[in-house]
Amino acid sequence: MAQLIQFPRKAAARVGNTLTEPLRAAWPVFSVDDFGRDPQLVSALSPLAKLRWDVTVGGLQHLPARTGALLVCNSRRWSLSSVYAALALSEAAGRPVRFVGRPDIAPLGPFMRRIGGLLAQPTEVLGALRHHELVLVSAAGTSHPRHAGAVPHDLVGAAVVAGVPVFPVATMSSSLGRAARAEVGPQVRPRRKRRGPLAEVELAEQVQHHLQRMLDAFGGMQTGVAPLDWLAEG
Amino acid sequence: MGGELGSLVALKLEAEPWVGSLVGIDVDPPRRRLRKAEFHLLQPSQRERIVDVVTKFNPHVVINLSVWEPDARTGLAHARQFTADATTAIIGAAAECPALEGMVVRSGIEVYGRSRNSPTRPVETARLQPTSEYGLMLANIERQAREVGSRVGIAVGKLRLAPVLGKHVPSPLGRLLRQPLVPFSLLADSPFAVIEDGDAARAFVAAAACRLDEPVNIVAPGAITALQAILRGKRIPLPMVGPEWMLAGKLSHAFGAPIPDHVVELMHRGRLADGAKARDALGFTPALSTPEVIDHLYAWESVVRIGSIREVA
Repeated sequence: MAQLIQFPRKAAARVGNTLTEPLRAAWPVFSVDDFGRDPQLVSALSPLAKLRWDVTVGGLQHLPARTGALLVCNSRRWSLSSVYAALALSEAAGRPVRFVGRPDIAPLGPFMRRIGGLLAQPTEVLGALRHHELVLVSAAGTSHPRHAGAVPHDLVGAAVVAGVPVFPVATMSSSLGRAARAEVGPQVRPRRKRRGPLAEVELAEQVQHHLQRMLDAFGGMQTGVAPLDWLAEG
Repeated sequence: MGGELGSLVALKLEAEPWVGSLVGIDVDPPRRRLRKAEFHLLQPSQRERIVDVVTKFNPHVVINLSVWEPDARTGLAHARQFTADATTAIIGAAAECPALEGMVVRSGIEVYGRSRNSPTRPVETARLQPTSEYGLMLANIERQAREVGSRVGIAVGKLRLAPVLGKHVPSPLGRLLRQPLVPFSLLADSPFAVIEDGDAARAFVAAAACRLDEPVNIVAPGAITALQAILRGKRIPLPMVGPEWMLAGKLSHAFGAPIPDHVVELMHRGRLADGAKARDALGFTPALSTPEVIDHLYAWESVVRIGSIREVA
């Protein structure tokens, strides 16, 4: 006669619960949002981010309260300006700001997605803007902290298609110090109406000019030691 | 009409005022009491009989749900064969019906694929680049339906469903997540979205009613990662890095929960889609969010006890 052997499910579950209980307390079982951003993880990492960057945020009054917008920031090479600016603006604005430019390779890509990263693709940006999200893209990286690089017009094109406003965000940080700044400028409005792809090309150029003006207004390096500041000016 | 989703769709169609008569074909008998529908027990390979039944009925709308997800009810080879046979027979037969106005076919968000740099939340206009066997099967269904639609001049709606979970829905993902020990990708732990079977059935009814003529993603709002789902279900998470997935798949198969390639892909690369168009095109909003569907998955009893049967006469 055959005998029915049952897997001891309850016993296994009891052992499993005992083993995972400490983990559960450390890792609450929340879910991620529609784009894979994990607000709990972002809050947990916030103190770590603050150890590296002490970001002063300004110009938040320009940002829409509920609707989507495209933010464009300048970027010094290897400064991760879009990451710290997005985290700081998210916290200050009280709504998620997603940054563009995560890689699509594990483990960095999935990790950056969990903190709000999107792929640098127009369709990805367009999808987020259509869902009334704030999306931060960075201009091409430069070696000088106060030079704004070229703004990717294909990503700005997503904002044109979605019909959302575009705002420049001037960022400044130090390679060694913690002090950083993210200043949101007023909306960049296209000078003339275009029906074709010139709209995004011209808007991207305008955003770059606005960014450059804001960076110029930031002034030079201020260490308190004038010769050092002159040296930094190159 | 014999599967869980098919039975649910039939039940909901019976309640619709615009539905006059209803005919269903499947390899299994219906799982629910249907009052109006006429059912034919036919194998996918019985093409001539299927064509005979469909053309004799001469429907206004055809809903094709005959998709065998690999390792849900059958293995990959059979799933591929049954799906191809059923698609050819049903879509081919539908094309012969003079009264036909529209066709709705079941597809899935697996058709978008998860190759590197593919969009995180593809919209319906995204390129179809399936990267799994199931995705290829679904893309093939869509292609056949599209070709027939343009040749015969009928509306063809394609509902791209997120992984369907439900009380009695055979799903390799649902089965895997309900194991006591569940593997997950430690380095990726990517988010995915699902849809509850009741919501999916409502979407099919809405698509048939409005003679949908475009692809629409049917996705529950929100997302969840595998680790979050495992912790919600109070299962033991088993972190995996890469090569040991093959061994885990074999072990899981031995324990009755095979892991097909599209589920492995979901665990590694995630599976999200933009479901906003369903609201505009169908007026459809899922009743349950993705985390709620996962909570329901773990709330279902493993064994439903119905008590002893007593003779009353």
